[in-house]
This record gives sequence, C-alpha cells and structure tokens, in this order.
Amino acid sequence: MIEIKLVVNEKPYNLNVEPSERLIDALRNRLGLLGTKEGCGEGECGACTIIMDGKTVNSCLVLAAQANGSVLTTIEGVGNRRSPHPVQKAFVEVGAVQCGFCTPGMVLSAKNLLDKNSHPSESEIGVAMSGNLCRCTGYDKILRAVKIAAEEGKQ
Amino acid sequence: MKYFQPQSVEEALELAYTSEATFLAGGTDLVLHMRTGKVQPLGLIDLGKISVLREIKEIEGSLEIGSMATFAELGKSELVFRKAHALWQACQTMGSPQIRNQATIGGNLGNCSPAADGLPALLALGAEVCLSTKAGNEILPLESLLSRTPLLEQGTLIRGFRIPINGQKSGFAKLGRRKALAIARLSVAVSVEMNGSRIDNVRVALGAVGRRAFLSEALGQELSGQELNNELLEKGVLEVQRIVREALGTRASAPYKRVAVAGVFREALATIIPEGGK
Ligand SMILES: Cc1cc2nc3c(=O)[nH]c(=O)nc-3n(C[C@H](O)[C@H](O)[C@H](O)COP(=O)(O)OP(=O)(O)OC[C@H]3O[C@@H](n4cnc5c(N)ncnc54)[C@H](O)[C@@H]3O)c2cc1C
Ligand code: FES
Ligand code: FES
Repeated sequence: MIEIKLVVNEKPYNLNVEPSERLIDALRNRLGLLGTKEGCGEGECGACTIIMDGKTVNSCLVLAAQANGSVLTTIEGVGNRRSPHPVQKAFVEVGAVQCGFCTPGMVLSAKNLLDKNSHPSESEIGVAMSGNLCRCTGYDKILRAVKIAAEEGKQ
Repeated sequence: MKYFQPQSVEEALELAYTSEATFLAGGTDLVLHMRTGKVQPLGLIDLGKISVLREIKEIEGSLEIGSMATFAELGKSELVFRKAHALWQACQTMGSPQIRNQATIGGNLGNCSPAADGLPALLALGAEVCLSTKAGNEILPLESLLSRTPLLEQGTLIRGFRIPINGQKSGFAKLGRRKALAIARLSVAVSVEMNGSRIDNVRVALGAVGRRAFLSEALGQELSGQELNNELLEKGVLEVQRIVREALGTRASAPYKRVAVAGVFREALATIIPEGGK
C-alpha cells in the first residue's frame, strides 16, 4: 500500500491505495463517490471523466498513486439539485439526458471547457466533447446544451 | 508490486537500476496492459513528478522536448506550431482531449505501437532521441533507435527529443480511428526545405504500415532537389504506393492501404504547399 494525498471537491484526503489501483476505483470504492461511471474501462468512452489539476482525464486510465498531490473535481463537486451548474441546468432544459450514464463525464468536459474559455466556438465545443460518447441522445442536444450554457455565461 | 515516485532523473535511473521496475509516464498504454495482463511489472517508477522532463524549449538552434510533455501540451505550444508543424498536427488528432491531457510523447515511443502518431512526425522532422541509463547518456537519430530490438534495454530512460530548426516546412496527415476499424489506420509525415520552388532534404515517414513507423530514405532522396509541382507530387504518390506494397506484401490490409496512402500523402503535403494538395 502507498499513502497518497488528494484534494477532491475541495476536501483533503489521505488514502492508502494499492500500486495498481485505478483512480476510478479509489474514488468509487474508497471515497464512495459513485457519480463517476465506468463504461468501457479502456479510455474510449469518457464516462469516467474527472477534472485533475484543471485538465480532464479518464479516471479508468490513471492510477490512484499517479494522482498523488493533485486537486480533483468529480461530478459531486459540480452543483446540486438546489443550485445546479449552468451546464447541468442547460442539460435538463434541453433534454440532453436520457439514460444518464454518460452525463457526469459530459458535464465535466463541458464545465472544464467553459472554465478555460467562456466564449467557445461551435468547433471548440465539438473538440472539447469529442472524448465523451453517448449511446442514447445522438449528441445534438448535448452540443446544444453546452452552447446554451456558454451563452448564459456571457451575460 | 512496488511503486516509486522519484523527484529527479538521477533518482529514477538509480531506482531502475536497482529495482528492475518499469517506467510509468501517462499510463494510457501501460495501465491498460497491466489490466489485461499483457505486462506484469515488478514495480512502477512514476515519472510524473519530475518537472524537467516536461520542458519544451528552444536551445541553440534545436527544439528540445522532454519525454513527459503531453500531446495536449505539445499541441498547444506556439514553438511546436512554428518549428515542428508536423508534430503539432499529429497532436491535434491523437486520441481524445482526455487522452491527450495524459499521454506523453515519451510513452508514445516507449510503447511503440505500429500506429503511434508521434513517431512519423518526429522521424520526418529529423528528431534525435536522448536516452539515459545509470551508466550514461546516448543521443541517436530516432530512425536508428527504431531499428533496435528490443527498443530499449531495461533501465533505459527516454529523456527527450531534439529537433533541428532549419527553416524546414512539415506536414502530417492520418486516416482512421483507433478502434473503429484497425485496418484503416495509416499516417504520413513529410518535411522539406524550400529553396524557391525547389525542395531539398525531403524526409517522408509512414505510420501503421508494418511493425513500426519508419522513414523512407529512398523516397526522400527521389524527391529532393527537384521543382515542387504536380508532376513531382504524382511521382511521389506512385513511389509511396510502391513502398506500401513492399512493406505490406500479402497482408489483408495491403490493397486498401495502397490506395488510401495516395490521399494521405497528398494531404500531408498540402499543409506544406496549400495549392499542391489537390
Ligand atoms: C482510447 C485511446 C486512444 C488512443 N489513441 C491514440 C492515437 O490516436 N494515436 C497514438 O499514437 N496513440 C494513441 N493511444 C495510445 C497511447 O495513448 C499513446 O501511445 C501514448 O503516447 C502513451 O503515452 P503514456 O504517457 O500514456 O505512456 P505509458 O502508458 O505510461 O507508457 C507506455 C510505455 O512506454 C514506457 N515509457 C513511458 N515513458 C518512458 C520513458 N520516459 N522512458 C522509457 N520508457 C518509457 C512505459 O514503460 C510503457 O512500456 C491511445 C490510447 C487510448 C487508451
Ligand atoms: S470508462 Fe474510462 S473511458 Fe470509458
Ligand atoms: S444519455 Fe445514455 S449514454 Fe448518454
């Protein structure tokens, strides 16, 4: 076991993890943060996306130990039922959520884009969301929701 | 399994020497290979905390790139955009945003898959690789390293790459997604020195044609020292198709790739001379 330090959703943690333990498993099993989903487990689908030190990563491809010293945001750290993040609000309004399995990852990719670039073009939105797959919606509504959230941020 | 997080290159080399552990960069290949059991490391030496290995800088007429620079960092670098355009282009299309944030250029070489996107670009740009072991350093052309088996001896660290800056123009193009259709992967990188309308020192490298990316010296020589016009472009297309035919032989992907390479080759050149890429 190795001891690591993490800040997750603004809370500090000291954890003992196995050397081969993935970050997604540490988040779900040790911290009980079940919002982060595992789809493919191979870096293809983006369901497990989190924000690590200001960048989106697939938590199924990062070892927990690699995240030692990092600041993480999972979906639990982005808005809640009473005060949703603009991206979450737009997803609900537009109907960009069907089964919802891809949604946490989608929201984190969109939030990270808007944190960095409050006026993204359509193609910048397309690139930022290209690592997140959805089996239900056909993407139209998701991209529209991100656009709406961006426009809201501008006002 | 042991896990080390050294703070310096010296410490990493010492650990590799004494522990027989494996270097870990971003983990986008290694973490998957550990899960499928394809590799079973005795230990891991995580290079992620060694900040000198991430540097991208210009020194004495060369662009130096640390092995731990990520595809995202390279793809956002103004210096790489201007001085190593083919590599910059390769970084835009590699993987997904999440993969690019994590995957490193050193890991791309360390894993050395046939379809590694960074390697054709580095080959065309004339990159040298800097290797280190506890015993010392070695600097050699990337094409020389790629002819070695195994690629790296145990304990050998890829420190970084050195690309000469000599006003060369370069371009990269690729076909195909990672898993969608493995057979459809193919990439071409080209670098030239423009002297008026003549091109010199042409270097053409291919990816996903055979076991590892390679530089075609014959094609480079064939095209060097000539006027760049449609005739030369078509000659290049025929040559590159011949090279693919020879490299792939009777493999199932051969007929498809032989046709496809023509378009990818034209596209790679089109970024060098916009009007030449019809
Ligand atoms: C979904 C997905 C999509 C992908 N798409 C692409 C793509 O489009 N194009 C592409 O080229 N690749 C792609 N890859 C493959 C992978 O991301 C790249 O090969 C990447 O560059 C590997 O870098 P890494 O830092 O993650 O390496 P790691 O996985 O950490 O290491 C890979 C290997 O290199 C060795 N190594 C790493 N660094 C060093 C060093 N400094 N010295 C010595 N040895 C070292 C390791 O021991 C290991 O054997 C994809 C992978 C995934 C999961
Ligand atoms: S579960 Fe991590 S990318 Fe699919
Ligand atoms: S809503 Fe079902 S996968 Fe996207």
